[in-house]
Amino acid sequence: MAKQTFTTGQVLTAAQMTSLQQTAMLGGAASAKTASYTLVAADAGTAISMSNASATTITVNTGLFAAGDTVFIQNIGVGACTITAGTATVATAGSLILPQNDAGILYFTATGTATFYDFIQAGAVSPLTTKGDLYTFSTSDTRLAVGATNGHVLTVDSTAPTGLKYAAAGGGSYTQLATGSFSGASTTISSIDQTYQDILVVIKDISNTVGYGVGVRLNNDTTASVGYSYLSSQSSTDVTSGSNPTSTMNGADTTTAGMYGQLLIRNYTATGTKSIQWNCARSATVYTTGGATSAVTAAVTSLVFLRENGSATFTFNGGTYILYGVK
Amino acid sequence: MSKPIIRIHDLATGEVVDREMTDAEFAQAKKDDKNAAIIEAEAEAKATAKAALFSKLGITAEEAALLLS
Repeated sequence: MAKQTFTTGQVLTAAQMTSLQQTAMLGGAASAKTASYTLVAADAGTAISMSNASATTITVNTGLFAAGDTVFIQNIGVGACTITAGTATVATAGSLILPQNDAGILYFTATGTATFYDFIQAGAVSPLTTKGDLYTFSTSDTRLAVGATNGHVLTVDSTAPTGLKYAAAGGGSYTQLATGSFSGASTTISSIDQTYQDILVVIKDISNTVGYGVGVRLNNDTTASVGYSYLSSQSSTDVTSGSNPTSTMNGADTTTAGMYGQLLIRNYTATGTKSIQWNCARSATVYTTGGATSAVTAAVTSLVFLRENGSATFTFNGGTYILYGVK
Repeated sequence: MSKPIIRIHDLATGEVVDREMTDAEFAQAKKDDKNAAIIEAEAEAKATAKAALFSKLGITAEEAALLLS
């Protein structure tokens, strides 16, 4: 029931008393609105119920209400309803934006000044519902569902409602797939993830008991030949070529720590011969760099690191590797 | 006689296993030994022949490289 001006001797009806009682208890019939609305003086003491699938506003102007007047405002529509200061001043400690099923009371402290008491304070109710949800904002607090594809990353997108979306990572990213250490007569890295463009192995402090070079064998294929060439500080001819089931990754022998290297295998999941590039260095004068083409045509699922040359018993002294997938 | 130990890092399970070579792996390792020995011998023979040629010509490897550059 709207605010009344009673007169001396006036007799209230039962219906009026019921309505007043409901209003006093913050209940009563609401004035339904389905489009943006500007409050009028007759709204004092009433409830306004907004319902619209799109965003709406309720505008508050000065000169219509008196100090102590209240207007109960609720939003039952999907679209957010914003309490908008027209010519009046509206303050709040919460939010002037009512998401669906939020409500609040507009309380006038003067004819042109009101405070809006938002029932649901910002952050009081989480919109999150599902594993992986992110708490974001568009015109109100909003959940952003986790991306549907493993490996996708969160990306800024000004056209998305929240300014964010999940999308595939840009090109050129490196993903660490494994770390480990070399041991034994050979060390095999198996079950390599097949979802990348290339694989890169970064090697540190590799050494072995007899100081031989270390090679790598793709898929442990002992029959496929490897044509290779390399530049080595330890080769008298500088450029060497040949064919060997094990490509030369580490042309410089080492029995001590301090040997670093990396090995790149291009298009390792594709069918066809595989391009291998490597470089390694132990000091300013001990280094090797080279490339090879392996006759292995199947997708590379495992790498076997083992002795590259010499026939003496070979065992890794140590060394570590990090395997990266490259997009 | 025990066979050499090898390491397998299975990225599907994250498991790292150190175990003896199987008979087939050991046989392949022996084959690799032979191949490696042949390659090593060939390299040594080539180096020896080169050194002999340099000695015969009375020039060093650097001088030979200079001639070919």
